[in-house]
Amino acid sequence: MTGNIATNAASSGIVFDRKKLKALAKRSDRPGLIWLAQWVVLLTVTGWIVYLTLGSWWLLPAMMVYGTVLTVPAYALSHECAHGTAFRTRWLNEACLWLGSLIYFEEPHHRRYSHTRHHTYTWHVGKDSQMPFDTPMTFRGWLLETTGIALFSYEIRVFALNALGRFSDETRTFTPVSELPKLKWGARACLAVYALLTALVASGSVWPLYFILLPRLLGGPVMLLFTLIQHVELQENSPSILESTRSFRTGCIGRFLYMNMNNHVEHHLYPLVPFHGLPALSKAIADQLPEPDPGFFRTNWEVFQVVLHRSLGRSTKAPSLRQAPNMITAGGFDRLSKASMS
Amino acid sequence: MSEWVRVCAAEEIDEEDLIRFDHGGCSFAVYNTEKGFFATDGYCSHEAQHLEDGLVMGTVIECPLHQGRFEITTGKALSAPVCVDLQTYPIKLEDGDIFIRL
Repeated sequence: MTGNIATNAASSGIVFDRKKLKALAKRSDRPGLIWLAQWVVLLTVTGWIVYLTLGSWWLLPAMMVYGTVLTVPAYALSHECAHGTAFRTRWLNEACLWLGSLIYFEEPHHRRYSHTRHHTYTWHVGKDSQMPFDTPMTFRGWLLETTGIALFSYEIRVFALNALGRFSDETRTFTPVSELPKLKWGARACLAVYALLTALVASGSVWPLYFILLPRLLGGPVMLLFTLIQHVELQENSPSILESTRSFRTGCIGRFLYMNMNNHVEHHLYPLVPFHGLPALSKAIADQLPEPDPGFFRTNWEVFQVVLHRSLGRSTKAPSLRQAPNMITAGGFDRLSKASMS
Repeated sequence: MSEWVRVCAAEEIDEEDLIRFDHGGCSFAVYNTEKGFFATDGYCSHEAQHLEDGLVMGTVIECPLHQGRFEITTGKALSAPVCVDLQTYPIKLEDGDIFIRL
């Protein structure tokens, strides 16, 4: 087999010194363990506040903060461990892949294999298995995406089919046949955990409800606002990651919760670089990359305005958000692609 | 019938690194590891990604695209997403040059 077909640095025309890349890609348990310890501390503090506010109206905001601290890092950890780059020690990666994926709500093997296809064919219609919404995005699509309705309905179907061993054509395209039994038993194991939590709640135990289930639902939209802006409004079917993918600026809290994945262009160019190497990689190749989009809030605000304007038939040109040319119209739009996660 | 083919001078491959070697329409990866020089198929057995930009850790090569890992000395697939072994090829050193048997 010859020829490089994947969307990565080579297909994007990015060059970087191999020795420097190797240094940035070097694996270590230490940064991941420090990050994990910090996450546990944050969960303990915000969880304690949830406990203190039980029975008061302060419970809702407390649970939203705790839910964000629970859900965004769980997604990020699941993603990093699906790559196997969070820790040098393999079993730590696998254990954290399970933990993060269970909270995120995706079977870990499915998470890993569907994500490989996302990297091979980033934002390629009909090939990328992680295109979560139709493009161009409309206000309806935005609502379905950010509320988590689209994600939950997709994952529930995947859980059910995989647990029954009735794998979809989509799943079969990115999973080696020999690995399908792992998807089946993984789905059954996850469903058993979810059933146990549900049974605990049904039997009168409130802690899974207050510290796992409700926070996961409340933190979900924040997590989905992070993932939404990775590729929305950018170019489908381009070999260049620079055209299909977005990096954005965000503060230290956002960078921590999201494990530096705001450097998303850099991650897609060199997926072997662990989360702790991404800021240095970003600096090293900054002269070859588009400017990162403005912060998390402003980027999301502009995306919201664009999708609203699109649904109202108005101009979809954003003030500063980076957009593919085919996303900008004076009014009206043609459907470009259907979500692969639907 | 197999033959020994010169790859490069041994000093051209950094320690704990690899190079790509193309010959006769096929592509190979030649490694310099802590246990010596080795050669495997050049392309990952998972998807069409060459290992030349991968990361060598001890005697393990990690694919640069999806981070699947192989044991370099045996070609054995170690961790998902790879599950098919790489073919390995004999290597010999002669007068500072590396030869691969194909």
